Amino acid sequence: MSETVNILVVDDERGIREGCRRILTAEGYSVDVAVNGKEGWDMVQAKKPYDLLLVDLMMPVMGGLELMDEVSRFDPEAIMIVITGFATIETAVEAMKHGAYDYVPKPFTPDHLLAVVNRGLEKRRLRIQAQRLMEERDQKLLEVAKEESKLRAIVDSMADGILVINNERQIVLWNPAAIRMLNLHEKLEAGKNIDELIPQKDLIRLIDKVFTPDASQYTVLSEEIELSGPESRTLMVNLSVVRDNDGQGLGVVSVLRDITDLTEINQVKTQFVTMVTHELRAPVAAIEGYLTAYLQGLAGTDPQVSRQMLERAKQRAHALLELVNDLLEFSRLEAKKLVRKKELLDLSGIITSTVELLRAQGDSKGIQFQVDLPASLPLVEADRGEMEQLFTNLVSNAIKYNVKRGKVMVSAKRSNHALNIRVADTGIGIAGEHLPHIFEEFYRVSGPETRYTTGTGLGLSIVKKIVESHFGRVEVESIVDKGTTFTVKLPIKEQRR
Amino acid sequence: MGEKTKILLVDDDVDFIDLNKAVLENQGFEVAAAFSGREAMEKVRFERPDLIVLDLMMEKHDTGFTFAKAVKADPLYKDIPILMLTAVSAETGYDFSQELDGYWMKTDDYASKPLLPDELVKRVHSLLERAKKETG
Repeated sequence: MSETVNILVVDDERGIREGCRRILTAEGYSVDVAVNGKEGWDMVQAKKPYDLLLVDLMMPVMGGLELMDEVSRFDPEAIMIVITGFATIETAVEAMKHGAYDYVPKPFTPDHLLAVVNRGLEKRRLRIQAQRLMEERDQKLLEVAKEESKLRAIVDSMADGILVINNERQIVLWNPAAIRMLNLHEKLEAGKNIDELIPQKDLIRLIDKVFTPDASQYTVLSEEIELSGPESRTLMVNLSVVRDNDGQGLGVVSVLRDITDLTEINQVKTQFVTMVTHELRAPVAAIEGYLTAYLQGLAGTDPQVSRQMLERAKQRAHALLELVNDLLEFSRLEAKKLVRKKELLDLSGIITSTVELLRAQGDSKGIQFQVDLPASLPLVEADRGEMEQLFTNLVSNAIKYNVKRGKVMVSAKRSNHALNIRVADTGIGIAGEHLPHIFEEFYRVSGPETRYTTGTGLGLSIVKKIVESHFGRVEVESIVDKGTTFTVKLPIKEQRR
Repeated sequence: MGEKTKILLVDDDVDFIDLNKAVLENQGFEVAAAFSGREAMEKVRFERPDLIVLDLMMEKHDTGFTFAKAVKADPLYKDIPILMLTAVSAETGYDFSQELDGYWMKTDDYASKPLLPDELVKRVHSLLERAKKETG
């Protein structure tokens, strides 16, 4: 209801119209008048909403009842008061049926008129207030519903599992991720006890731990639990008490996160560190042993024996250095942010110079080299340093695990979209049982033939990593006592002409 | 006893074998060597060593244990003292104890690896001493 109160007086009797106007204007109301129902109805439609209408029943051109019908359809909250000279029960009842709120019998005193009008206006105020409240409530409900479904959607889309348990240990809220992780029944019913619902005793134990009185000290309780099942998985569970505004505990909310992959990565890392430690300690222990024996004369004083021991200590020291270098290379390849300077390369130059560099190493064993490369090779996109490392590892293995006066053969040729580079030897070969493992870190084939061969156990795993980072493949074939052939397949970068 | 005391070294690390062979021979022992569990069992049969120095952790982690238990289970060889070397305690935190492992280790001794040659010589002498006393 606006600040000013608008009243319309509809009566064909001028005296009544003017009388009402005077009395009501003096009260501070804004008053309009109409001479018949038709004029009144036009004014109602054209002008501001009237808070209250005083209507004469008997008028020419649209009577009071008809007018009231129209007005109550137009503005149901408008208060209509009938002014009538024939105040009978029947007319009153009839007027009420048409939407009248009250009536004033003619003639009337100003006080009487004002009393009825003010009562009507009060009613109007209450009606409007009630309507506003209802509208507000509807709006709120709509907002709440929207907010709730928004929250619901968020909870349901979370990758982490959510479970809310009330103080009666009943499940009250959950999301699909939780159902999946805990393998719960798809059609979960709220209000079910957790002992019936959750098969994981560890999780129930954790929830109950949060319910214990001394749990108030925790803000969050975090623990890993193992899930048994077809495949075992590890969940990180974070639990906290749900509190109302007064700090009263209402229940427990658990957030579940599947950390199986992380746990596995950690285990692999730990294993790797253990292996590295073992590999580093063996040569250091051997060197210290030789030096101790030499310094204390434990193996006698024969200068030839002493010299031999020192030679061996030096060899182990060198092997240790190689291991450290390989470890550095290995961790460089492992690092995600590795910068590779890939360029278009003709590998023939790199292969030839690698063989030249290793020729001296082969000569001491009487190894013959046979390099069979065309004048130029199809180009590959590769990191020069890594290619050098790759062929150094393969060729030096071919020398190391060769027999005396053996052969090392290197060749390359195109096969469809790949460049195949073969590094073959006539060495001791690798038994079938070892072949699937030779690219694993620190996997070494031990036997009488390799006893005096130093190796880091990382060479081939570095080869594999380099080849794979160039989108290629490495294959191995071997026959014991005949030799081994490694084939590196790298994608050819076609050049547009 | 005119014959030399014979020691069998069992380890897959060639440097450990070569070094300690030289050192023990210089001490007047006769030394045989084996690089694997199977080879070690053959050497026990044919060489009849007076003492075995054994690396418990060879290429397969149970090779040394299996060999030691086999020796101790055989009435012919069970009195041969074994000096067991292990990197286990350092790597996995498992410590050998006379109480837990004594039932199959009896007169034997154990040391953690790496073991320097001078220490090895000391251990060999004292274990031989002890074994001689116990078998009378």
